[in-house]
Parts: sequence; C-alpha cells; structure tokens
Amino acid sequence: MPETQPPGLAGPSLPRLCGIFLVIGAVAFGGLGATVRLLQRELAEKRGWLKPADIGEAMAFTKPLPGSTGVQIVTFLGWRLARWPGALLATAAYLLPSLALMTAAAAGFAALPDAPWVQGAVTGVLVAVVGLLATAIWRLARSEAGTPILCGVLAAAMAAGFFVNAVFVVVAAGLFGIALQRIRARAPHD
Amino acid sequence: MIELVLRFLIVGALAFGGGGAALPLVERLTVQETGWLTHDQFAVGVGLSYATPGPVLVLAAFVGQHVGGVAGAAAASLAVFAVPVALAGFAAQLLERFRSVAWLGQFGRFAAAAAIGLLGVTLVSFIRPVLALEPLLLLGAAVVALADWRGVSPVVLIAAAACIGAGAAALPTW
Repeated sequence: MPETQPPGLAGPSLPRLCGIFLVIGAVAFGGLGATVRLLQRELAEKRGWLKPADIGEAMAFTKPLPGSTGVQIVTFLGWRLARWPGALLATAAYLLPSLALMTAAAAGFAALPDAPWVQGAVTGVLVAVVGLLATAIWRLARSEAGTPILCGVLAAAMAAGFFVNAVFVVVAAGLFGIALQRIRARAPHD
Repeated sequence: MIELVLRFLIVGALAFGGGGAALPLVERLTVQETGWLTHDQFAVGVGLSYATPGPVLVLAAFVGQHVGGVAGAAAASLAVFAVPVALAGFAAQLLERFRSVAWLGQFGRFAAAAAIGLLGVTLVSFIRPVLALEPLLLLGAAVVALADWRGVSPVVLIAAAACIGAGAAALPTW
C-alpha cells in the first residue's frame, strides 16, 4: 500500500528508511545512473514520500558541491524525509553494501574471478543501467523541463557537459535563470 | 592512518563534478606520492569501483584496506564522504529555510534542467562501451526501458540482466 505523508510532517520510520536505502545501495550499479531511477521509483512513484521535483532539486543543489553526486542526492533526500537522522542513516545504508563489497574485494576475500560469466553479468548490468537511466532522464525531463526555455537549457547543458566541468554547467544555468527573471521583471517598465 | 584520513578528506572536498572527476587526484595521492598502491593495484581498484554498486569513490575503501586493513577501509571511507555528505545535508537544510526566496527557486529550476541534461552525458558514457562490445545489446537496453515504463521494478530488472548476461556468457560459443 502506498503511504502518503502530509507535507511538513515526519516521513517514514527510520528503520524502513534504512531498509529501502540498503536495497537501493545494493543494486545501484553505475553510480548515479541506476541510483536516480531507483530513487524516483522507490521514494516518489511507489510510496509517494517525495515529489518528482524533489529529485530534480536534489541534483540541482548537490551538483555544484564537491563529492559523489549519487551519495549527495541520497543525503539531500534523506534530510528531506527525516532531517539529519534521515540524512545520515540513508547515506550510511546506501553506502554500506558497496563499501562492504569493496573492503572484502580488497582483502582478497571476494576477488572478482575473471570467469566469462562474471564479465557477462557485468555487461548485463551495464545494458540494464542504460535502459533505466534513459527512462529516468525522460521522466525527469518531462516533470522538470516543462517550458521551451528549460528544454533549451537541458539540451545546451548536455552538449556543454562533454567539454566543460559539470559544476560550471549547472551553476551557469542557475545564474542564467536568475538573470532571465531580472530582465523579465524589468521589461514592462522600459 | 592519520595521513590516510587527511588525504581522503581532501579528495572528498575537492571532488568537484562528481566522484569520477576525482580519480586522477586519488591516483596521485595513493600511487605517485605515497606508494600505498602500485599502478596495477590502482587499476584493479578502479575496475572494482565501477563494477560494484554505489559511487566510484568507494575506491577509498579499497585503498584503506590495503593501508590499514578493515579499520583503514572504514576510516578512508568515512573521510572521503564526510565533507560531501555534510555539505549536501546543509544544502537541504538551508533550502528548507530559504524556500520563499524567489531567486533561489529560479536558480534551482534552471540548475535542475542543466543537471538532467548532464545525465545525458552519463548515459552516453554508458552507451559507448555497450556499442563497442555489440550494438545489438542496445535492444536489450530498450527492452529494459520498456519494462521499467510498464512498471517492472528496476531492482528486478538489474538482477535479471545480470543473470541473463552471466548465463549467455557461460554458454559454449555459438
């Protein structure tokens, strides 16, 4: 059953929050790629704890900060769901599976064998992430880039992203938005 | 150990543009400057960090394990994510407090559109290796996208894709 929270009130219980972020962290292959889609699905579409716009906002305000954006989106949304306890628990739960796996691998306990089936599984996951990321982008674009100008910003950012650091692209877009607002506010008086 | 923590605190604080952008810095700090890892070990670590779920910077756990065992892995991991996580939490908190400020909302709307566009760059970086391997695999990606659209859980789709990939590779060559 989808549970909806009245806005502004406490979100899901912390143990449930941990459980969901553990699962997301365990299958979030391709870092940001699968993570965005999993967050959309598990937190917004399925449970209604967050609005789709929250995920766009999390990306907008964490991308300019240093650090892994996937983790920071989790922290940001965890904060929104249950303030600092939510932020810290969601982040810890999200990171635990990959950190445990990585530590075990480095210690030689879980060395990835070079067997063909392992390579096959990695390829399979890569293919899945391409599909999931494509739907994630499509959904985000439909909900967050509703005007022609925002669509233009989206396309321009993608083109620029191949040549310029992501931080500059996001900050420049934000500043452009503010400038545009100022110009429009002034226009009728001129 | 203290050096390990300090160095990874710096990596976290300087990783502008995401974890992948910080890999050259990690290499300099752990291979060239300290000799904690050899070049080959570093390459294995990077490979693992892409193959495991979660962010690329779990590489810190790999380095930490080599330097100081499980305690080292835990310390390096905490260090590398400390600054970014604190910043993200404060960003969420500040945004909540200043939600009514108009220009902040405007910045957010345009920055969000740009961040979504940048996901397109990420998508292309995933498509490239698939194309290099076998362009027909993109049909598989299309099937996944369609199934996702029809409501199949992404968790199930990722697990299924891993199983199919493993199964296909285990079959005798055809």
